[in-house]
Amino acid sequence: MKQRWILPLLTLALVLAVPGLTSAQFGHPLKGQWSGQWGPASSPVRLLLDLQWDGKQITGTINPGAGDAAAVKSVTLDYSNPAAWKVVLQAEGKDASGKPAPITVDGTLENIGAYAKLLHGTWTQGGRKGEFTLTRN
Amino acid sequence: MNFGRIPGEKGVWAVPYITNMAMRLVGEDGQLLPAIQEAQAAARAGGAGARGGGGGGRGGAKSEPWMPWMPWSAAVYDYHSMNESKYDPEGYCLPPGGPRMMATPYQMEIIQQPEHKRVIMIFEGATHIWREIYMDGRTLPKGDDLNPTYLGHSVGHWEGDTLVVENTGFNENSWLDYFGHPHTDQMHVVERWARPTKQTLRYQATVTDPGAYTRPFTIAWDIPWREGGELPEYICQENNRYLNRLEDDLGQPIFGPRAQPGQKPTGAR
Repeated sequence: MKQRWILPLLTLALVLAVPGLTSAQFGHPLKGQWSGQWGPASSPVRLLLDLQWDGKQITGTINPGAGDAAAVKSVTLDYSNPAAWKVVLQAEGKDASGKPAPITVDGTLENIGAYAKLLHGTWTQGGRKGEFTLTRN
Repeated sequence: MNFGRIPGEKGVWAVPYITNMAMRLVGEDGQLLPAIQEAQAAARAGGAGARGGGGGGRGGAKSEPWMPWMPWSAAVYDYHSMNESKYDPEGYCLPPGGPRMMATPYQMEIIQQPEHKRVIMIFEGATHIWREIYMDGRTLPKGDDLNPTYLGHSVGHWEGDTLVVENTGFNENSWLDYFGHPHTDQMHVVERWARPTKQTLRYQATVTDPGAYTRPFTIAWDIPWREGGELPEYICQENNRYLNRLEDDLGQPIFGPRAQPGQKPTGAR
């Protein structure tokens, strides 16, 4: 009887362990998937960024696959402080009614060498503005 | 050309410690770049020359002007310099990728198997790892077949007595050296191996990485033969206490559970 529980328990343990696994990535620090949120703590908006680096430019999508997916139009970087890069990202967002609501992300990239890279700052979408935090998955 | 032992002989290649590959850049003539020679002379004279040709700390070395940096790769390098390379993945016992295999200061052996059309390289250091170089005329994989890994894919051929090895399919989980020259998964490396004397393996690698550097560069160094040597067992992962005291820039342990808000990080001293 006890043995019937072993496999489900092991599976559960594995599933719980997966979020703790973070792969190393020492290429371009912005490349990869980022997750987090923006807006007030009482009603945060979940975010997922998928960014690529092809050697010439950073491209990608905000919330890929979702109804509010937004293509990244441009990313500019300021490396004046190698430990805290300034990042300005612009994307073609939409509001709830589907009308264009351009996104501007004005952030700082920190913890650049670690697995858990951090991007935080101000998120502006349409007429709304709020703080955001993203951690590289 | 035999890059290994002869029957009955003992001996291994004593891989040198190259902490900063940018100090090993050579021109088409195979000689160190003049700018590096000047920097080395300045360092010897006690001036503000670049460091890192051998072992030792970084000493705040900044991105070398003779490297074909992209702005981001120079910034990453300077960042690693600021924190004394504390995020060096090799310090975590992760395998080095590309030319760093030949700059990690442990011993290695080269075993040629012409009957199997392959060359095997066994490394004591770098997580006790091995390389397999296919000499059967196959081409490097492309596209989805790349499946990037730490060591990538290697195919080789002979040009006279020189073994020429082409490598691609590297993941982005490694640095090119201890000083933290970054690379991307677009990296392509052509290695050339020669044994001008019994005691010397001449190593040269041309690195092309359009994701991190604006043009290819070539690095080179010699690897001495250690007569009578054998590969000892060295397990980097065992009792690696270095990992336990590492914190990231936010004061969180790099390995182990991250602290919840208001909780002192477990790695904090």
